[in-house]
Amino acid sequence: MSLKDILLPFKAWANVAKEPVSLKNPMREGAPRYRGFHKNDIETCIGCGTCEAICENEAIVMVPVEGVAGVETKSGDSGLRPLIDYGRCCWCGLCVDICTTQSLTMSNEHTWVVTDPEELKFIPGVDKKTWDNNELGWKKPAPNYHFYGQERVSMGELHAEERGDSFIEFVKGYSKEQAQLEADRCVECGICTATCPAHMGIPEYIKAVRNNDMEEGLRVLYATNPLPEICGRICTHKCEDVCSVGQQGEALSIRWLKRYIADQIPSEKYHEILDTQNIYKGDKKIALIGAGPASLSAAYYLSLMGHNCTIYEKLEKAGGMMRYGIPSYRLPYDQIDKDINYIESLGVQFVYNTNVDAAKLMELNKTHDVVYIGTGLHLGRSTGIPGSDHEHVFQSIDLLRKITQGEEIMVPEKVVVIGGGNVAMDITRSMVRLQKAKYGKVHVLATSLESEDIMPADREEVVEAREEGAIIDPGWGPKSIEIVDEKIKGLHVYKCLSIFDENRRFSPKFDTEDKKFFEADMVIESIGQGMDISYLSEELKSKLTFDPRGRLTVNKNFQSSLPWLFVGGDMVQGPDVIHGIANGHKAAIGIDYYLNSKK
Amino acid sequence: MKNLINKLSKVYELSDVVYQRPNFTYATTTKENTISLITQLRDLEGFSHFVLLSCVDWIEDNLFQLTYILNNPTQKYDIAIRCMIDRNEAAMTSAHYLWEQIATYQRELKEMYGIEFPGSPRLNENFILEGWDNIPPMRRDFDTKKYSEETFFPRERPSSNDPATYMKSRLHPDEWDGKIAE
Repeated sequence: MSLKDILLPFKAWANVAKEPVSLKNPMREGAPRYRGFHKNDIETCIGCGTCEAICENEAIVMVPVEGVAGVETKSGDSGLRPLIDYGRCCWCGLCVDICTTQSLTMSNEHTWVVTDPEELKFIPGVDKKTWDNNELGWKKPAPNYHFYGQERVSMGELHAEERGDSFIEFVKGYSKEQAQLEADRCVECGICTATCPAHMGIPEYIKAVRNNDMEEGLRVLYATNPLPEICGRICTHKCEDVCSVGQQGEALSIRWLKRYIADQIPSEKYHEILDTQNIYKGDKKIALIGAGPASLSAAYYLSLMGHNCTIYEKLEKAGGMMRYGIPSYRLPYDQIDKDINYIESLGVQFVYNTNVDAAKLMELNKTHDVVYIGTGLHLGRSTGIPGSDHEHVFQSIDLLRKITQGEEIMVPEKVVVIGGGNVAMDITRSMVRLQKAKYGKVHVLATSLESEDIMPADREEVVEAREEGAIIDPGWGPKSIEIVDEKIKGLHVYKCLSIFDENRRFSPKFDTEDKKFFEADMVIESIGQGMDISYLSEELKSKLTFDPRGRLTVNKNFQSSLPWLFVGGDMVQGPDVIHGIANGHKAAIGIDYYLNSKK
Repeated sequence: MKNLINKLSKVYELSDVVYQRPNFTYATTTKENTISLITQLRDLEGFSHFVLLSCVDWIEDNLFQLTYILNNPTQKYDIAIRCMIDRNEAAMTSAHYLWEQIATYQRELKEMYGIEFPGSPRLNENFILEGWDNIPPMRRDFDTKKYSEETFFPRERPSSNDPATYMKSRLHPDEWDGKIAE
């Protein structure tokens, strides 16, 4: 051992007086775009879970945080928020880059010292952290930095000029390339699924489009909805209103993708694909009254469960409002037939031109195990204003039915429609077409109590009606119809200030100084529909229960207080097709349960 | 920069030229031309500073992409020369004699991707991995998750909730699911 070896350790003591090389806390600040600890604006976040799905390290899980201010489970918000485990995170930032609301960001903070590694799990935005208000750090670089397309693949449509005088379907449908491109925008979050009344497997069928597996797509559709051609065209698509992709761009065209799947498969292949070639039939018999979406849906699922279904319909064809209310430019009859023919092919019997009255109902009760009523809302409601009893004041649903049945209806030069819902838009656009064919010009005006921003009609219906030449002038309350020499001159209206009172009861308020007069030769009322339950005898009615709005009350099986009588469709929910389909399905499960428990 | 690219194109097979920024250009050449090209850039075109050497695994094409980034300190611009090499017998001519520090980058690429650079000093010494007993970890066929599960102490993942299922249970708690008897 040399002297050097002995002295060398003592050289280290020379460092005692030196400045330490290590940095003191607080250490240097992270760079402005540093990918540090996460922040989440929990009121903007919708809990779609896309951050969890993209995380390669499985560092993110979705946890319920209801009770925290600003968060509740509601339509379009799961009520879940991401919890991040820093024992797994590698701070790659993909979660921030994919975030559909841009609520998730990263601060430039990068030091967090704990003794227990379990503490390194937290819910950004909920568990308060020192970096919550830190402005610097990684954010999704905007604009034009997106992991998925922001714009819809546009749908081919006939131009307003071309479609204006014809009832031919004007939405052309997607090609394979367009559909796959559109499907590719889906982040598969499933926020849409809970909002859809039928809880359709939307991400699953969009995935099938992406994989070009139409057979799987059809199976997913029929699991919850036996009218896909119809719904693929006219569904009110609440799913699209809550689509998380729509948070920063345009929502997915979910409805058109559904139509695309159903359009690709010829009806001859349905039995093979849906495995319905051999269905067991038992001895239970169910009578369904009214061949609308609710009865069709119930009959479809009951047939698959092995029950014998007979649908009694007052008119000469099945479909209810879908056939006799919705104009063919939106829903062509051959597509209605395709869906209904398949249901019929499963052994469902249809008895047409049969009006069920009180006596017939009791007869059906005797000859069947269960009676299901889905007769819908098909009585038009009148405004009851002075002049509304004139012979040229019509109900929209009566006219729509006549148009479908090919009957001549009055088509004057000037028409006013009262109403702001989809049915009002249907009759407005139908009258536009008839006027254009007859006169070569259009003079149809639709007015509603609701102002433009709260009109119940789908937005595209309003836009397309205007494109076709109709005038939509919302926010007015009808006062009276002026009649001179027994002829209608027009409609007087007041400005509508509000529709509901503080208790959300219908109680419109008007500014009687702010008036307008809409010239018209004919007035069409389209302010809602009521049900016709004249087939219920007084004795039956006394055994049934009704809610304050006059709707029949049912339990969650859609069974009335009479065990043999089930009710569905617009009479209990909605009104719209998808609610009818959903509650028809649930009623089918309820009926099956009831029949099995009766054994 | 365009003049330089035009000039080099006459000698080397350049493709995929991308003028990324006013002071930064990408160009791709063949494996055989790469070292000659960067030598010319260093000795004749003023790119005296070597910035970095990196690799991308294009497993679908069975190729590795090498990128040499050089800097011209007087003109203040960068050029990135790329070349594709076979992934199965991954080997590239060593460039350590042009800039000494390239040996370190090559040592890293040997360890992380398994690329050979014959003649490169200390090529087979550990770079950052000690006692590595698997395929090179930056190759995309290396299963990071499987490796970490087999190698490291497990960290339990907290349970998660599917947004669609959770929403349905919260928004429609009374919905008949066909299972619950009345």
